[in-house]
Amino acid sequence: MMREERVRRVPMLISAFVALALAIIPLPSVLDQLRPDFLVLVVFYWSIESPRAGGLALAFFAGLALDVINGVVLGQHALALTLMAAWATHLRLRLRVFSILSQSLTIFMLLTLYQFILFWIDGATGNPVVNYGRWLAPVIGGVLWPILSAALSRARER
Amino acid sequence: MVAFRSTDTSGRTSGLLLRCVLYCLLALGLIIVDKRYDHLGKIRRTLSLVAYPVQLAVASPFEGWHWFRESVSTRDTLRADKAQLEADLRVARFRLQRYEALEAESQRLRALRENTAGVADRFIIGDIMDVDLDAFRERVLVDKGASQGVFVGQAVLDSGGVFGQVARIEQYTSEVILVSDPTHAIPVQINRTGLRTVAVGTGDTSRLKLPYLPTSADVQVGDLLVTSGLGGGFPVGYPVGTIVKVTRDPAQSLAEVEVRPAAALDRSRELMFVWLKPAAVQAASAADAATAPTSTAVAAAPAAPAPAAAKPATTKPAAAKPPAAKTAPPAKPPVKSAPATGATHP
Repeated sequence: MMREERVRRVPMLISAFVALALAIIPLPSVLDQLRPDFLVLVVFYWSIESPRAGGLALAFFAGLALDVINGVVLGQHALALTLMAAWATHLRLRLRVFSILSQSLTIFMLLTLYQFILFWIDGATGNPVVNYGRWLAPVIGGVLWPILSAALSRARER
Repeated sequence: MVAFRSTDTSGRTSGLLLRCVLYCLLALGLIIVDKRYDHLGKIRRTLSLVAYPVQLAVASPFEGWHWFRESVSTRDTLRADKAQLEADLRVARFRLQRYEALEAESQRLRALRENTAGVADRFIIGDIMDVDLDAFRERVLVDKGASQGVFVGQAVLDSGGVFGQVARIEQYTSEVILVSDPTHAIPVQINRTGLRTVAVGTGDTSRLKLPYLPTSADVQVGDLLVTSGLGGGFPVGYPVGTIVKVTRDPAQSLAEVEVRPAAALDRSRELMFVWLKPAAVQAASAADAATAPTSTAVAAAPAAPAPAAAKPATTKPAAAKPPAAKTAPPAKPPVKSAPATGATHP
């Protein structure tokens, strides 16, 4: 049991670091607004595929990393990501038998809620971001989900 | 929330709810402590040390590409560059001759008014790291941080003018908030008329606005805005931008004024972190508080020769600094500069 979990954690951490790098890689400002939340998608993937490997802890610390990198109030992304990862874990048995379209829609919903929590904390801590661009990222994340989850599954099998 | 309990029979779900609640409480606690008490600087700095390698790894290919392009440029481009740079240098030298005389004159006049408001003392150059922060906030990450002495609120310039100020420092990096950030405001002065106002960012790197000018204010398209040095954060007299559009609606009490920033906010790679002369900032605030009573003007008059004597060495701020510190106490003994001089004596 212990062995099994240990084996699973390595690809999880690698994918998380790659996603973190993708989250800060410089893009032209038009594309920058369309950038999906890679790290969030990766956290969702691991919450759904192997929740026992510590998906929630991954969510919390990935969120902290996003807080530090984005320079926002500490705990903001951590809170949003933990909540949504918990929900994704809760939905995982249903998600696995969903069609690709329903999976994408569910992920889109989770991402939108994630953005909403961020938006809410932004407002509550007194520096609101009033820009409709941020609501585009969930759409793109949802569209990207089938590709990303397939790629991660394939990488995990190796 | 209740629904979490009733999913599957693996026995892990109640654990899920518990852990979710625990992590959420932890995150909420972090938010509250970070927002209210600002004690988390150390934790944040430690965490950012973990993130730093990732940021470095992302930035380094771009750095490498710049380096590669520089090292394989052909002889012809190098020659063209050299010719261009020499021409630029000639023009700059030519202008500098005039500016040095002007600067000396302005220092003399300032000394007369005993107001050496926020003269820049020392610079370090920082490079913008090729890392994207939040897409909806106008901020950049620069490769100078607490270990180089950068501090929060420090003025940051580029070759064109005022770029922004330091919003957050880590050990080896700092985050600079651009003048165009919607939450950023900078005290400015219109160079032509001396009218003081505040320039606020718009979220667009090519535009600032002056929201607090009445419709009757004397502003024109083409007016240069410079820093006024009020507030003590920015050095005085650096260009902030040029007015590009003035809309006066008679029904409104305030004019809509648009400004194009002088700094290349979206193109600069090198930034200058500025340290102000410590005595100068105090003098500026003192001069603002006491609206030039005659006694200080008289007392300041003997101070004039000191900067004038230092005139040949105006390019060396270190040389110009001691006389300023010496002349400050006779003008206004009970102000903050007293402990500074007291510290040097024992």
